[in-house]
Amino acid sequence: MGAARSGPAAASGRTAAVAVQDRMVRALAVLRALVLANTLAVFALRYDGLDRPLLGLAVMAFLVVWSVVVVVVLRRARRRTLPVLVLDLAVGAGTLLLSPVVEGPDFTTSLPSFWVMAPLLVWAVCLRWPGGLLAAVVLSACDLAVRPEITQTNLGNVFLVLIGGPIVGYLCGSLQEMAAQRDAAERAAAVAEERARLARAVHDGVLQVLAMVQRRGPSLGPDGAELGRLAGEQESSLRTLINRQDALVRPEGDSTLDLSEALAARVARRPPSASLVGTGAPVLVPAEVATELVDAVGACLDNVARHVGEDAPAFVLLEDTPAAVVLTVRDTGPGIAPGRLEQAEADGRLGVTGSIRGRLADLGGTAELTTGPSGTSWELTWPRRTAHAAG
Amino acid sequence: MVVDDHPMWRDAVERDLAAAGCEVVAVAADGAQAVARFKAARPRVVVLDLQIPEPNGVEVTREVLAHDPSARVLILSASGEQADVLAAVKAGATGYLVKSASAAELLDAVRRVAAGDTVFTPGLAGLVLGEFRRMADGPAEPENPAPELTDREVEILRLVATGLSYKQIAETLVLSHRTVQNHVQNTLRKLQMHNRVELTRWAIERGLDG
Repeated sequence: MGAARSGPAAASGRTAAVAVQDRMVRALAVLRALVLANTLAVFALRYDGLDRPLLGLAVMAFLVVWSVVVVVVLRRARRRTLPVLVLDLAVGAGTLLLSPVVEGPDFTTSLPSFWVMAPLLVWAVCLRWPGGLLAAVVLSACDLAVRPEITQTNLGNVFLVLIGGPIVGYLCGSLQEMAAQRDAAERAAAVAEERARLARAVHDGVLQVLAMVQRRGPSLGPDGAELGRLAGEQESSLRTLINRQDALVRPEGDSTLDLSEALAARVARRPPSASLVGTGAPVLVPAEVATELVDAVGACLDNVARHVGEDAPAFVLLEDTPAAVVLTVRDTGPGIAPGRLEQAEADGRLGVTGSIRGRLADLGGTAELTTGPSGTSWELTWPRRTAHAAG
Repeated sequence: MVVDDHPMWRDAVERDLAAAGCEVVAVAADGAQAVARFKAARPRVVVLDLQIPEPNGVEVTREVLAHDPSARVLILSASGEQADVLAAVKAGATGYLVKSASAAELLDAVRRVAAGDTVFTPGLAGLVLGEFRRMADGPAEPENPAPELTDREVEILRLVATGLSYKQIAETLVLSHRTVQNHVQNTLRKLQMHNRVELTRWAIERGLDG
């Protein structure tokens, strides 16, 4: 306690620990009142058999006054100092030692009886397990020192005190550490959230500028056009990154993947300059299906780059229905000449077409190719085998 | 009217539009300005960024169209916030363009929106397709049944979503350019109608109608 500050984080961790200690001390105040009442009642029952009843009354009065004083003093964390704790323990030990003087040498119940629990637990709460152990040893030693003969019950009580003090101290220490950790975790989460909020603002600004460069570039000549193209690439990869980060927050099962997110990463890769068109919601499919579908789309896109051109625009449409996931990959090339595919197949050159069909067939789906003057289009269908697949 | 909180964009868009002979009657940097200046300037077309300080682009769309249903809203959005785009379209926006579109594309879009056309990007077509599917899969509501697309409309939207122009679609499906346009417009109208009924019912349920 009262250690030098080593930064705001340490200070706040300590605040959490002190808050835990405050609660424990408040609970101990209630406990002290209860054990005091018990001690007074036990004292009243034995009052007639005492050697020095007046001294006993004085001790009881002192215990009442001290209990009130110490509860008030301990209420503030900064007043839980070693001298106060030592005094509290000294009251417990002193009243124990006075037992034979007040009650006579062959007493059975000590003068403070259960009241000694209060200082013991205060030591455990404030000084953790070493404090609990030390207080337990002191109180046990005083108790055993004044007993005319040590019964099994006395030994049992001493044993419980020796065990209980350190255990309560240990638990209290753990609670304080956990509170400090929880505090730190909450603060880290808040910081991360704030950082994400700031990043969003910064990203938005960067996206605006990149889009601007992309838009104005072509009017600045060939260099400008190149700049614009680069800005466009960066814009789309930054956007993919942001979307992926947003997706991280969404809870997902281990074995399912968001297909739109997986596709976005593949589609962002050039060439060709493809755009992914989604339906605005995550499309959850088993991870292995996602991998296969992304590879199949990748094969379609590679084909576009090879046969239509590296800069050829292509579109990937992802649709999700209860019955099936449908992917359409379209390029805006001149299409495939009639008969060429049949010719290739007849020649035994299945090539890319075969590999795309094969992948989908393995998944239980279909791949349809249509070609015409306004481009070539692959339609990949993966049927969902779910309960409502009929719909 | 041009609404964008980035001065760089506001100026660039304003300059391009003015250079092409459009009259920019007002600019605004946030939602409150946009709504106030709309009422004073009465523009025919609002070129609107969705990411603006409160109230956001979706609310601005709703407000200005409630004030003047003959106005047209063209969404110009950079950040690909799909849900927002869809909400703005449901609120009555009839065009959507990404900010990386060229100045020529922007001018074309503004002219078409002003003429009452709808300006679809492939991205918007995908969102609209998805929204109709989601509504069809959602719980059935007898008072306001989910609108459905005809097979032809689905076919056309899918072609738009894979980057074909209206002209190419018309050639592919052997339809007139005008017919393709009408189909596309119809899909948005269904979405907007459904949304209006939803909003009204929501208001009545909460006792906001009286």
